[in-house]
Amino acid sequence: MNLYEPYRVKIAGLVDETPDTRTFRLEFLDPEVARTFDFKTGQFGEYSAFGAGECTFCIASSPTRRGYIECSFKTVGKATTALRDLNVGDTMGFRGPYGNHFPLERMEGSSLVFIAGGIGLAPVRSVIWNALDLRDRFKDVTIVYGARSVSDLVYKRELEEWAARADVRLHQTVDPGGETPDWAGEVGFVPTIVEKSAPSATNAYAIVCGPPIMIKFTLPVLKKLGFADDRIYTTLENRMKCGIGKCGRCNIGPVYVCKDGPVFTAEELAKLPPEF
Amino acid sequence: MNGRTISRSQLAALVDDLVGSGVGVVAPVRAPDGRLDYRPVARLEEAVLDGGLPRLSLKSLFLPPTEPLFSFRKSGPDVAIDSVPTTFPPRLVLGAVPCDAAGVAALDKVMGWDYRDELWFGRREATTIVSVACGKGDASCFCGATGNGPAGTRGADLLLLPLDDGFAVEVVTPKGEALLSAHAGRFGEPPNEADVARRRAGLLEGRVEPVGSLAPVTAWLGGHFDDPVWDGIALRCHGCGACASVCPTCHCFDIVDEPEGVTRGTRRRNWDTCQTARFTLHASGHNPRSVQDARYRQRVLHKFSIYPERFGELLCTGCGRCSRACPGGMDLPDVLGAIAARAAAPAGGAA
Ligand SMILES: Cc1cc2nc3c(=O)[nH]c(=O)nc-3n(C[C@H](O)[C@H](O)[C@H](O)COP(=O)(O)OP(=O)(O)OC[C@H]3O[C@@H](n4cnc5c(N)ncnc54)[C@H](O)[C@@H]3O)c2cc1C
Ligand code: SF4
Ligand code: SF4
Ligand code: FES
Repeated sequence: MNLYEPYRVKIAGLVDETPDTRTFRLEFLDPEVARTFDFKTGQFGEYSAFGAGECTFCIASSPTRRGYIECSFKTVGKATTALRDLNVGDTMGFRGPYGNHFPLERMEGSSLVFIAGGIGLAPVRSVIWNALDLRDRFKDVTIVYGARSVSDLVYKRELEEWAARADVRLHQTVDPGGETPDWAGEVGFVPTIVEKSAPSATNAYAIVCGPPIMIKFTLPVLKKLGFADDRIYTTLENRMKCGIGKCGRCNIGPVYVCKDGPVFTAEELAKLPPEF
Repeated sequence: MNGRTISRSQLAALVDDLVGSGVGVVAPVRAPDGRLDYRPVARLEEAVLDGGLPRLSLKSLFLPPTEPLFSFRKSGPDVAIDSVPTTFPPRLVLGAVPCDAAGVAALDKVMGWDYRDELWFGRREATTIVSVACGKGDASCFCGATGNGPAGTRGADLLLLPLDDGFAVEVVTPKGEALLSAHAGRFGEPPNEADVARRRAGLLEGRVEPVGSLAPVTAWLGGHFDDPVWDGIALRCHGCGACASVCPTCHCFDIVDEPEGVTRGTRRRNWDTCQTARFTLHASGHNPRSVQDARYRQRVLHKFSIYPERFGELLCTGCGRCSRACPGGMDLPDVLGAIAARAAAPAGGAA
């Protein structure tokens, strides 16, 4: 056994979120690991299809749900294609949890504003369920989620669940042209919808994940709404191999995304050299 | 020197003792083309101690260019994992050039940073490093500027300083002490202090390094990511990564599965380099380091700013191998000199 040997996990369930994005529920084969495995929301892991290699995904489930982890991934290359070829009951590999996390403990007693685009909802979903499972510790919960088109929205069943809850305010949107005739949500880019829905910045934290372009245009909107840079959190996705600060792949200047991240505040991001 | 002496014949006998007891001895050996390589030796006569810098450093003894991390066997939906050993047979490196021993010590920090890399430390623990002070630096060497020096002890367990017959022996670590006490009979009286000091000073005599003090460079680098000094810095660079492969401290690696048929395979760790475009390329086509200037800057920053900020020393031993190996004529001391000039410019090169 060495650092690079993964836990073996069994695919216990799968959901096709979109034509190219799939969610796996994974259970640890080793009962001792299954019993003791723990992580914090925002952490990531190295998932592997044996024979094709490893790739980095966040843990998309909440640490409050024990006994399994979930990941959602887009098929883009070698390892993700091989993972997609696996089925319920198949064995794959997982190393982790790695990296820092969203400091949910610091956010207790505050309102939470979740903003996500596309598959960026995967890390945010982990925080959302973590907060909803401890609902009485937080004030208002607002979710703004958008995708290119209706068929690109992930976690559709959960979106319905959040929409139905009285203690969650959900704004769903698709890019102009991405709507279907029966689409009941908003039409417009995520930053526009954030501006329109104008969540209060009073005693609130914002958690923003999505394509770089979405993050770029959302940050000024949040600033305008009164969110301080140290109350806006996001994650970075620099390419990784080891996940543990050894392979030299993920650094942005002095910062190793795999060890010092992947969660950063907007204040921290502003200080980094533009290599992400 | 806090130590002892050893004659050449006693050192030869020590090598015989070690080889006889199953310790693998590795030393610089003259290759047919006249250059030196660290290779296993059976007798001291095969080794060339103080012959100058071997072609490649000690890095591959601890981080092989390719090594298995584990193997796997699939049967239906199940997968079995076969671990690789993390303990290694005992080994002695005799005649390490001090800068190469320093390179190994620099990588200890990376490999032990929070997560302990068992494959690296398994080999480290099994290996004793005996350096020999270096009197054969060439025009590309700048170990003085990096603070190691030709008699540097960083990374060494014992340091030998050549005398007329044999060596003065400096004990650097408990591991070195253990070697000495296990073979106490092979070692002689402490050396003459004045003689040792004179010889030590002689190592640097007449040597002119291609770059001066690096302190102003490291102090300046942190705040000047976007400085014009980087524009066009890598015009001559091919992006081949030869510099990283010969470098004792470049440690970037890839993790790759090599299938062996359909049901078996091995996950391997392979050397990689930040000098290629694909190193940081995302699936979307986005590349955080899209031009060679940015990739070369990463190499310089990592060695002289990023690692020093975290670990308090340089990630460059000053061995000069990257300059000697480069097909494009990139010369690190030249680049460091240009940065030093920039740092010394009025307003700290702010313009
Ligand atoms: C902290 C972190 C969290 C992530 N979370 C998720 C997630 O939850 N869901 C998800 O779908 N994806 C996520 N990603 C991106 C994901 O890691 C890559 O899409 C995946 O590794 C591609 O693997 P592949 O073998 O299929 O692609 P490869 O065949 O290796 O490569 C195809 C292309 O993908 C690029 N690539 C490889 N690794 C990455 C990477 N880490 N980031 C971007 N491009 C990469 C390659 O350079 C190449 O251009 C995350 C990345 C990081 C660093
Ligand atoms: S600096 Fe020289 S050796 Fe290094 S990548 Fe560029 S061309 Fe190759
Ligand atoms: S950067 Fe060049 S001089 Fe420095 S240790 Fe590496 S190969 Fe030697
Ligand atoms: S992923 Fe290897 S150093 Fe960060």
